Amino acid sequence: MHRMTLIGFTIVALALSQGTGASEVDVVAVVSSKSTLTTLTKSQVAQIFLGKSDHFPDGSQALPIDQAEGTVARDAFYTKYTGKSAAVVKAYWSKMVFTGRGLPPKAVSNSLEIRKVLAQNPNAIGYIEQNLVDSSLRVIVTQ
Amino acid sequence: MVQANCVNSRLRFGSYAATAVMLCAVSARAADADRSVFSFNGFGTLGVVHSSEDHADFTSSLYKPNGAGFSHNWSPDVDSLIGAQVTANVAPRLSAVLQVIAEQNYDKSYRPHVEWANIKYQFTADCSIRVGRTVLPAFLFSETRKVTYTYPWVRPPIEVYRLLPVTSEDGLDVSYRLHLGELTSTVQANAGRRTTHIVEGGTTEARDTWGVSDSTEYGPLTLQITYVKTHLTVSSLNSFFDVFRQFGPQGIAIADKYNSNAKPLSNIGVGASYDSGNWLVMSEWGHSHTPSFIGNSTAWYVSGGYRFGKFMPSITYSQAKADNLSDPGLNVSAVPPLVVGPATGLNAALNSILSTKPVQNTISAGARWDVLQNVSLKLQLDHTRIGAGSSGVLTNIQPGFQTGGEFTLFSVSIDFVF
Repeated sequence: MHRMTLIGFTIVALALSQGTGASEVDVVAVVSSKSTLTTLTKSQVAQIFLGKSDHFPDGSQALPIDQAEGTVARDAFYTKYTGKSAAVVKAYWSKMVFTGRGLPPKAVSNSLEIRKVLAQNPNAIGYIEQNLVDSSLRVIVTQ
Repeated sequence: MVQANCVNSRLRFGSYAATAVMLCAVSARAADADRSVFSFNGFGTLGVVHSSEDHADFTSSLYKPNGAGFSHNWSPDVDSLIGAQVTANVAPRLSAVLQVIAEQNYDKSYRPHVEWANIKYQFTADCSIRVGRTVLPAFLFSETRKVTYTYPWVRPPIEVYRLLPVTSEDGLDVSYRLHLGELTSTVQANAGRRTTHIVEGGTTEARDTWGVSDSTEYGPLTLQITYVKTHLTVSSLNSFFDVFRQFGPQGIAIADKYNSNAKPLSNIGVGASYDSGNWLVMSEWGHSHTPSFIGNSTAWYVSGGYRFGKFMPSITYSQAKADNLSDPGLNVSAVPPLVVGPATGLNAALNSILSTKPVQNTISAGARWDVLQNVSLKLQLDHTRIGAGSSGVLTNIQPGFQTGGEFTLFSVSIDFVF
């Protein structure tokens, strides 16, 4: 038992010594400016991107668009909106895929591609760095 | 035999139907280039295990013939496997899944077997029905037990995860998800049957299987409650217990008590996990009950880990208890002198079967390192103390093995998904 106690203390000590690694990139959830959607809760955004909901509160279809794995925006988005790291989200989708419950959202390669896809589809929802938002997009206000 | 054929033909029907749906998908969606009809995914584990107990084998499932310890100093068969899956989205509401896994089989081959093969119809985003083969959701990680990338350990705590000897069914299930504010609750009901080959020869046949489960998520918290009921026949052991019947009423009583001829078996699972993003704490409790040689078992574990970026150390304590590890058997003073020898032999064989019920506890320390986006490397050290009169989860018991001992496992594995 001494061995386990030691391991336990080591974990706690390491946990306390580690600062909260807040991401520097500010990522916001966005829809097309043609969409009528203005606000969602963080939880509603998370449910749409984790495949737990396929529609917006007004009943219209929600089409989540991801960014490629390994992009800074993707990591920052999942941390901010779901509280999960990229690896945890990957494990979550592995569970969903290999139990036949669903497939992850379609992903595009970067934030500029997100702008293109969202401009064409009022049902789509994506995320992008705050400073890359242009007039074709509307930032979703999260409560 | 008739039953086995019946089950086989049902599965074949399921597989054919899944294939047919996938073929329909090609023609139906060929023109729709926007979203591909088929998704191909795969997963695998390459692992080796060393055990300090060399008079018996450690294996990861009841259906594996050998493992680490007696058969192999370092065994690749305990955890290594590869799986491939095709998902066909035929129509917005209709999909099919076929998942095939190659791992060490009951006959030592690595011949692939069908793990999942079903067709799903999605009535709404929150309600669906599936027909075909599905894995039973007995515990938190039962359904993805083979997808090792989905959990922090090299393998889920074996004390709990081997409580239910039936892991899948050919039948149907219905799932309904409720949204109550921030809380989502998924209720699933299933019914089916399944025949599985076992190492000792013959099969285990689970008929009239049904179950209900509820999984509720609230932020970082998940709570799961499951119930499974089945009727289990272990054919190879039934012929052994029938020998007791030749000893008159006392032999018949023993045979009826321990045989497994369509005996009802129920399993309850209660599990909770808390995943804050950095902290991961999980605990599960399970109880299985059946009036046969398998008897009643209770097991639980508690596990905690902390993520330092891509590195996650964790510790786990798990424990399994079972009743009735021995039986006086036939009263040899009441049998004719000529058959005292056979009666004594039968009693010894009965007690060796009863001693295979796992009574043990394990302390594990392990670490997971997410090497790449889809690849993790795991190390794990397990120290197990076996209860008096039990051989724990070990199999291939050799002469010289002492019940109630202890052993240490060292496991390393690489897990991947694609």
